[in-house]
Amino acid sequence: MVTPAFEADALASLDSLYRTALRLTHRPADAEDLVQETYLKAFRAAEQFTPGTNLRAWLFTILHNTARNRARDFAREHVDVDSDAVERAAGSVERAGVPSINADTPETILLRETLTPDLQAALDALPAVFREAVWLRDVEEFSYAEIADMLSIPVGTVMSRISRGRRLLFDRLHHLRPAHV
Amino acid sequence: MSDCTSIDPLITPYVDDDIDAAGRRRVDEHVRRCPPCHSRVAAERAVRDLVHTKRAEISRDTASPALRARCRAPRAAKASGAAVSPWRARMKPLAIAAGVVLVAGGAFVFEATERSTRLLAAELTADHVKCFGMNALLGTNSDAAEIERAMASTFGWEMRVPESKDAGLELVGARPCFYAKGKAAHLMYRHHGQPLSVFMLPQFTRPGHPESNPEMVDVMGHEAAVWSQAGRTFVLIAQEPQQEMSRVISVVQSALH
Repeated sequence: MVTPAFEADALASLDSLYRTALRLTHRPADAEDLVQETYLKAFRAAEQFTPGTNLRAWLFTILHNTARNRARDFAREHVDVDSDAVERAAGSVERAGVPSINADTPETILLRETLTPDLQAALDALPAVFREAVWLRDVEEFSYAEIADMLSIPVGTVMSRISRGRRLLFDRLHHLRPAHV
Repeated sequence: MSDCTSIDPLITPYVDDDIDAAGRRRVDEHVRRCPPCHSRVAAERAVRDLVHTKRAEISRDTASPALRARCRAPRAAKASGAAVSPWRARMKPLAIAAGVVLVAGGAFVFEATERSTRLLAAELTADHVKCFGMNALLGTNSDAAEIERAMASTFGWEMRVPESKDAGLELVGARPCFYAKGKAAHLMYRHHGQPLSVFMLPQFTRPGHPESNPEMVDVMGHEAAVWSQAGRTFVLIAQEPQQEMSRVISVVQSALH
């Protein structure tokens, strides 16, 4: 039985779930379907939720699992994506060209002056595994352990994805700057 | 002094200030002497700070009131014991009889004629995959007679929904198609158990292609057959060998003739 209090608490996370779904799917209609399915599953499984634990993280876990299942269905019809290979490839690229900066360089100042649309575009252009990790950490502010639970991956992998995601973002934003700033 | 490999896993928690004192000292000491790791820390920190600074601006999207309403717990349905998917409920107003939605319009004809066969096939293949995925949740199961009545009442089009047990075709149902904002019909089948779709694009024939002569396109791991017939264009999509595709196409064409 879904109590009004549980429903209200769950719906308090609607906007952040929707924003995250939008980052995952890129399409408002798909994001809405994903969020609606998430709530449908959450309310059906409400009795499995342990009161006193993190409801928001629980909802994000359902969102992620639903998105993953959908992606899996899609990939089954198309081509399997080897996310480890994506991570390895991203790692080799970033290691080849990490720009040298320190806290007070023009690059850092420029990063801080990055326009929001450029940041949005750079986020959207990240491979999904890195985009999701960076988003959950830096925007939704979940802990490494919460993200690890959500994504069913080790904490070390969470940190590695956040790290690579941030550095890919840096690389992309860094290259947007004019040649002689 | 720690080497870069052992420091690497500590950099992100160091940047996030989510590291114990001993770990922090190790990273502090290392990055003072290692310019590449120092740069890594600076780059990661700059991006983290940037995202934090812009957090409110990149988080402005909010769920619509309609979505909020759809996401509420379905109390009435639960009380009656008839749990109805809110998603399905949302689809219901869109449905005509068996759930076929066909909205023909000039804008759609324009959109369709602007697309190459390959692009058309690719977009509809994506919808084919997505619709079968959604159908697993919605559980659409339409009756051929209802679909035929919907076609007739909506378009005055007297057609027979292609269905042939002999050819291994089993009607699953119909959905409004994502393509062209729902202005096309999507009939879903199982062919020997495997997903197969027939899309109908109303009021559109492809210039320069003889009627009823399918153009085969290999797209996204699927075979798509595209042909025009009686002033409409049809796209059949499946993962079948050519020979099976030809058999099914001929069943569909004869039913729609």
